Amino acid sequence: MKHIPVILMLILAQSLAFAQDNYPDLKQISKRLKALDKNSSVNLSTLTETAGRQDIYVLKIGTGDLDNKPAIAVMGGVEGYHVLSVELALQFAERLVTEEAKALEETTFYIFPNMSPDAYAQYHEELKYERRGNASNLDHDRDGRLNEDPYEDLNKDGLITQLRIESPLGKYVPHPSDPRAMMEVDTSSSSATRYRLYSEGLDNDKDDKFNEGLKEGYAFNKIFSFKFPVFEPLAGDYAVSQKETRALLDYLYKQFNIYAFVTFGPANNLSSPLKYNAQEAKKRIVSSPLEGDVAINKMISEIYNESISQKPYKQDNQGTDGDFFQWAYFHFGRLSFSTPGWWVPEAKKDTTSTSDQKIKETEVSNFLKWAEQENLSNVFVAWEKIEHPDFKNQTVEVGGVKPFVMHNPPFSKVDSIATEHTHFILKLAQQQQKLEFHNLKVEDLKGGLKRITVDLLNNGNLPSHSELGQRSRWLKKIRVDLGASEEDILVGNTVELIDRMEALETKTLSWIVKGSGNINLKAGAPHTGFADININL
Amino acid sequence: MKIINYTTLFSLAILVLFGSASQAQEKFFRAIGTPHQPKVEASWNRYNTYAGIVDLMKKITDAYPELTRLESIGKSYEGRDIYMLAVSDFNTGDPDEKPAMYIDGNIHSNEIQGAEFSLYTAWYLTEMFGELEFINQLLKDKTFYIVPTINPDARDNYMKEPNTPHSPRSGMIVLDNDGDGNAGEDGFDDLNKDNHITYMIRKSPTGQYIKDPQDNRRLIRVPMEEQGDYEMLGFEGIDNDNDGEVNEDGIGYYDPNRDWGWKWQPDYVQRGAYKYPFSLPESRAVADFVMKHPNIAGAQSYHNYGGMILRGPGAEEDVDTYNREDIRIYDAIAEKGEEMIPGYRYLTVYKDLYSVFGGELDWFYGGRGIYTYTNELMVSYLYFHENKGRGNQEEELKVDKYLTFGDAFVDWKAYNHTQYGEIEIGGFKKNFGRAHPGFLLEQDAHRNMAFTIYHAYQTPKLSIINVEEKSIGNGLKEITATIYNERLMPTHSSQDLKYNIERPDLVSISNADVVAGMIVEDEDFNKASEQVQNPETMRVSNIPGMGTVKVRWIVSGGKNYKIDVDSEKGGKLSWSK
Repeated sequence: MKHIPVILMLILAQSLAFAQDNYPDLKQISKRLKALDKNSSVNLSTLTETAGRQDIYVLKIGTGDLDNKPAIAVMGGVEGYHVLSVELALQFAERLVTEEAKALEETTFYIFPNMSPDAYAQYHEELKYERRGNASNLDHDRDGRLNEDPYEDLNKDGLITQLRIESPLGKYVPHPSDPRAMMEVDTSSSSATRYRLYSEGLDNDKDDKFNEGLKEGYAFNKIFSFKFPVFEPLAGDYAVSQKETRALLDYLYKQFNIYAFVTFGPANNLSSPLKYNAQEAKKRIVSSPLEGDVAINKMISEIYNESISQKPYKQDNQGTDGDFFQWAYFHFGRLSFSTPGWWVPEAKKDTTSTSDQKIKETEVSNFLKWAEQENLSNVFVAWEKIEHPDFKNQTVEVGGVKPFVMHNPPFSKVDSIATEHTHFILKLAQQQQKLEFHNLKVEDLKGGLKRITVDLLNNGNLPSHSELGQRSRWLKKIRVDLGASEEDILVGNTVELIDRMEALETKTLSWIVKGSGNINLKAGAPHTGFADININL
Repeated sequence: MKIINYTTLFSLAILVLFGSASQAQEKFFRAIGTPHQPKVEASWNRYNTYAGIVDLMKKITDAYPELTRLESIGKSYEGRDIYMLAVSDFNTGDPDEKPAMYIDGNIHSNEIQGAEFSLYTAWYLTEMFGELEFINQLLKDKTFYIVPTINPDARDNYMKEPNTPHSPRSGMIVLDNDGDGNAGEDGFDDLNKDNHITYMIRKSPTGQYIKDPQDNRRLIRVPMEEQGDYEMLGFEGIDNDNDGEVNEDGIGYYDPNRDWGWKWQPDYVQRGAYKYPFSLPESRAVADFVMKHPNIAGAQSYHNYGGMILRGPGAEEDVDTYNREDIRIYDAIAEKGEEMIPGYRYLTVYKDLYSVFGGELDWFYGGRGIYTYTNELMVSYLYFHENKGRGNQEEELKVDKYLTFGDAFVDWKAYNHTQYGEIEIGGFKKNFGRAHPGFLLEQDAHRNMAFTIYHAYQTPKLSIINVEEKSIGNGLKEITATIYNERLMPTHSSQDLKYNIERPDLVSISNADVVAGMIVEDEDFNKASEQVQNPETMRVSNIPGMGTVKVRWIVSGGKNYKIDVDSEKGGKLSWSK
């Protein structure tokens, strides 16, 4: 039995996936990808190698004529510090092939598990910090010097946290409900000790800025061409400048069947949909999603909120300049959905305290409260005094929330998050456009002529083309091919093109032909799939 | 980097040329303004294929190894080398550290003469070096990076394959233009096999045109209520894919001048964009070269046609990028250019032409802070010194009657078309209209070159004009150095300063114990700003055009100190006591 080793491998992959107690390192990730590749419906390939000599992988998962089935692309690791996203993409792939392979009958999937491996690796390095940039060189502050002011681990705990310096010039004070958390000073907290707050490190180049000359390169999620933040740190001189970014786009531009992206990243248009701004949508440089596409977003967002048990809390990032998620819609014309997968939930109100009703929770104070309620003890480095050469004779402390913990849940929670998100993506796939022929009629006219009439139906909840995608040359039109020779067609063409079909829209097609026998009629595009029918003249 | 060596064949050829040069002494009398006895014989009244361009570049490099460097900056889509010729006096400093002028041509493959104008520039500069004091000094101070064609594949296609004056324009990548899932399945067809794509007309009872009884080359439209003889069927071609349309999906189409990394926009915003900034190998090669050569301070890109000296912005959305201070410099140089090149007008792309996002000149300026022009070469003014505008058929027919004697026009001739039946094929050739006729080429090349020389001349030229010492007691003294930029362009354009595109200029002192360093902002009122860190090397954000910067150090000791200036776009120089 040929299938047994495959199944064994999958079980092995599964056990690798679920026996872990921490997010995988790059080696473990490639091991799991290679295990997946053993499955006959999976094709693993490498797009390129990053400046840090890490492979950029893609899994193409599908069966049959997989290039001509509508496809969804799933993105992980658009931000290196968001290690959850890689695990979600991986688990989606694993669950898809083991538990949900039926979905492959209708849909092909592309999974890009980790687009920022150079930055991701920092999670497992001796020195841990939330890294975004790849391993290329970039002069972030554009002063003509490279890497001149990186982070330093002053308290030698292997983590980059924060520095606070007692100073009347400071702009931060301890949070009244949890003095570990620092918040911006306001007039109501005039009596509190004020602090200056920096990331942990030295001012190596003595320019009064801390850690502005980072020892990391370009952030994947900041270098795309939509609203590219030119010359900003982590973005550089022009869009799509990095090898891995170019390799990804060169690949995507050849995959004509992709109609939607699901990105696991900081932006969220699934908890609540993007809004339509008529003025921005009508400009030549479109910067609001078009009206019809906002309606689709709303429908998919409803499905998301039904699938995901976590309640939205402070999910107000709906895209940042140069990010991938917006590029996929605005410049690539595909439906684009994004979610962080997990966020710090709203902590339960403190029932014991009665007086401090007015105190506003900050992100950090809410996080610390939630962590306490969850009995997570390992999330904070207590403030501890150190000697700092840039602040001689001043009270300087190192401490703060540990890196990663506010963007990535404890690993034990990932399993259920991955299950829910897998189901969401599969429900999204069930909405997809689907072309079908109905009501085929062949009428005999005089002299051996025949009139063919047939209805083409889009039997899906999504239109064949997003409203913006319809404008893009990189999304093919629906092509109707009648398999008769030009001379035999008296009315109509062998090839006709349809720009777009709405959800559940029907178009009636007709021809007058001469001749007899069987001819084939076909309609579709790679991203809509094809309908096929035999006509007996 | 690939440097091409002598071949024995070339050496022989050059020996022969020298022979003929000595004969020239007896037979010829010098014309002002032109190399009289060029080491490299070249004709400036014809066009070069890619092979011809490379041949000429190699000949120039072989003849002038101390003035030139030939380098491939990358490969085209079809694998041709994109050659760049650096021209400078290599005996007076590293050419890659001198203020430089970048010149390219032929980004649109059918706009061919930019390559000849670029080549003429390289030829003229090398041949005139040693002849003219001005050129000697120019090549001592500056470097010219000259890339005659940045679209070599489709240049050859334009010349060797049947085309209209307007095709291919893109490079050789074939895309699906009509969205039917097939790419390039229905291009032009050269039915009469003359290597030109001209027009098809057909006799028709419902036609709207007649042949002009006084000039049967010309079709004229009859008044609406009258019957004509002919109908127009468009450019030569067949419906190759049976979709009812002719010539709707040929080479390309995309526009290499929409592929550059400044405010790039996708295809649906403007037809012509490819996948992402620098997704075409040719523009990527140029971008990589420019990124590696921060000494480029001025740039010129040659297109055709219409007689224009263009500056950005390419699009109204980008108006704010071009600020007043930089526009003053653009205006000063281009207004001089209008005087040098009769018939050419100084215009702004978005206002006077059309919108371009992601164009080459916008990236050079917006993305690199380099003052850049695009010249639309060839203007009908050159024919009869009249301003009849682009594509004036009457004027063009007159040109071909009185100046080119029928060379520009394919006379109407009957042809049996598989789909249209009996038709006639004829019209202007692809190398007429946009391209200069031979007799106008050299003059316009010289004038446009003169404009780029003026532009290059106005890149920064720095000197330390004064170093003053003043004792301030306690064994300390003040040393004040004045650095002068004697040309129009600053070392950093305002766009450069806005984004810190290139690093600051560095003014450093050595052999002195520096106590403090400062930039003197107002000598008279003793205003200065101190640089606390590392005052030995003062970081000067900019040295303005036609202006000075004063740097002051307080030092102890320091008898034989030395002052160095290191500017990306202003070059390197030093002063020692």
